[in-house]
Amino acid sequence: MTWLQQVIHRGQAMNDWLSPVRSQALEALRNTTWPTRRTESWKYTSLAALEQLKLTATEPATQPSIDAIAGLNSLDLVFINGELQTDVNSLSLPAGLHINNLQSASAVQRVIATSMFAQIKPKRHLFGLVNDALANDVLFIDIDNGSHIVQPIRIVSLSTDGHESHHRVLVRIGNEAKASIIEQTQGEHTSLSTGFTEFDLGQQAYLEHYRLAMHTHQAIYFGGCHFCLHHNAELNSTFIGYGSQLSRTDIDIIHNGEHAKAKLNAVYLLGESEHINLHSTIEHAKPHGTTEENVRGIVGDKASAVFNGRIHIHRGAQKTQAALNNRNLLLSRRGQINTKPELEIYADDVQCAHGATVAEITDEALYYLRSRGISRSQALVMLNFGFIQELINQMPNQQLAKWLEPQLRARFKEMEVR
Amino acid sequence: MLTIKNLHACVEQKNILNGLNLNIKPGEVHAIMGPNGAGKSTLGYVLSGREGYEVLDGQVDFQGHNLLEMTIEERARKGLFLAFQYPIEIPGVSNMEFMKESVNAMRQHRGEERLTAAEFLKKAKEICKQVQLPLDFLKRGVNEGFSGGEKKRNEIMQMILLEPSLCILDESDSGLDVDALQIVANGVNSQRDGKRSFIVITHYQRLLDYIEPDFVHILANGKVVKTGDASLAKQVEKEGYAFLGLDNSEEVTA
Repeated sequence: MTWLQQVIHRGQAMNDWLSPVRSQALEALRNTTWPTRRTESWKYTSLAALEQLKLTATEPATQPSIDAIAGLNSLDLVFINGELQTDVNSLSLPAGLHINNLQSASAVQRVIATSMFAQIKPKRHLFGLVNDALANDVLFIDIDNGSHIVQPIRIVSLSTDGHESHHRVLVRIGNEAKASIIEQTQGEHTSLSTGFTEFDLGQQAYLEHYRLAMHTHQAIYFGGCHFCLHHNAELNSTFIGYGSQLSRTDIDIIHNGEHAKAKLNAVYLLGESEHINLHSTIEHAKPHGTTEENVRGIVGDKASAVFNGRIHIHRGAQKTQAALNNRNLLLSRRGQINTKPELEIYADDVQCAHGATVAEITDEALYYLRSRGISRSQALVMLNFGFIQELINQMPNQQLAKWLEPQLRARFKEMEVR
Repeated sequence: MLTIKNLHACVEQKNILNGLNLNIKPGEVHAIMGPNGAGKSTLGYVLSGREGYEVLDGQVDFQGHNLLEMTIEERARKGLFLAFQYPIEIPGVSNMEFMKESVNAMRQHRGEERLTAAEFLKKAKEICKQVQLPLDFLKRGVNEGFSGGEKKRNEIMQMILLEPSLCILDESDSGLDVDALQIVANGVNSQRDGKRSFIVITHYQRLLDYIEPDFVHILANGKVVKTGDASLAKQVEKEGYAFLGLDNSEEVTA
């Protein structure tokens, strides 16, 4: 049995109130041709590591723990190996915020959840379909119209050695509501995890969002963030991705109402022989939308990164303003970066810009810093940090940025080419 | 302080230094002049340890240490400072972070405590004032968008901040107007304390009117061909290098 056949087999056994939508995913999977290097969206990413994956679950000596982020006072929701550890029934929540799982959702919430599940996320994402079929714990975050939830909601997903996990999150932000959501996924040992989140931003809703995809080493990870923006909604999203032996994240932003605003900053940082594949697709389906997307990547050693950024301006989406910029820094001659910005424009009164560059840290810059007594490795960290600093500084949540900074510096040390 | 014996060095397999000798005692100011392509800048780069500048022969003793065996950063930490002719721009790394990191690298080397952000800022502000750079320069990227004169003053600022024992100034006067030249010269003179030594590389006598040298060396074809006192620089200014039997025609600087 192939890996995909196993998924379908296991998916058929899932039995809950999402089964009707899951069965659509199974049907789509049955009709899927397994991607190869000739499949455009997988051209630079080999799935061999997944095809050959053998998982032997081992129990960690100590139960993994989640560190609080200093000064953040976040509401933490924790998945370990796809299972929600947080008891959603015992959370004390601010007014207007509702958090449920499959079991606790009321009939009304089930209706809303069903209308969102696999509806915002495009059907073309193979591992999104896998997640549709297999996610056994689904977190549903619902924010009432007009509610401003000040406390950041932090969703952490850990994968440990030998485990396969699929977690799913649905977030509905009501009209004129505000929220801040941090998604953090990590794991370093041999594991397979998928994590997909669908966000529905109501009229004039505001979402501050972070996806910290920090899987490294042997972990295999497929993730997705899919946003639907209604009239006047605003999204400010930051993606930070490390690489692992196989890692892919798909981000979709759909401007489904007029005057919606999206800002997406993304950073990927890779060392050793890690790989990351980041695809972003911005659909401007309605007029007067704006998108500002800045993606920066640093690739060291034998690592490889793929970035594909597509902006699609639909017929009639006049007065759209969209800009996409991808800059890369290559630390080693053995590293590889494949970047492809794509613009597809079917409206004639729009402003659209894109660009992609790949540069190297110049020996001259290194020499200059070293000639002032700064060690080579420290100079590399400074130059690397300098490259992404602008995007980190733009993170609205500076507590989170402060927490992230030493981790990024440690990451740069790992990325150093010895 | 510094003893250079029979130094031979090449860049991209082209011999630039051909048996250079130089002896510098603490507190001395040595001016190095010479036609383009003589190897003046190369000397600065070789002493600082720049990659691509290969030493073929000779010895360099710096305060009792074999300079040529040290890494770039070790040389700097031991007190060697090169003020660059064309300082590079590094957007993304702030001047403040850069200078604080380098001051602390030096302090750590000397076994001293790192300066706190506030302590550093106090010191940096004073020097900013001295070299007449506005304070917002600290927040900007290293040399990012600086004018030629500002870059040179930034080099002098780093020199004052890092308190080196040997300062090599590579054409710190080129491209400066008279006012900026005075700021640079005053900055250098403020650091003359009888112990700190200077190598002043220049094309023009003008700078030496402000920074009075103890010795003037004429470099040609990669070695010192004549040494004298300040009057030698005046003679060069008046007569060119022809009196030394050297061709004064312009070549591209190595």
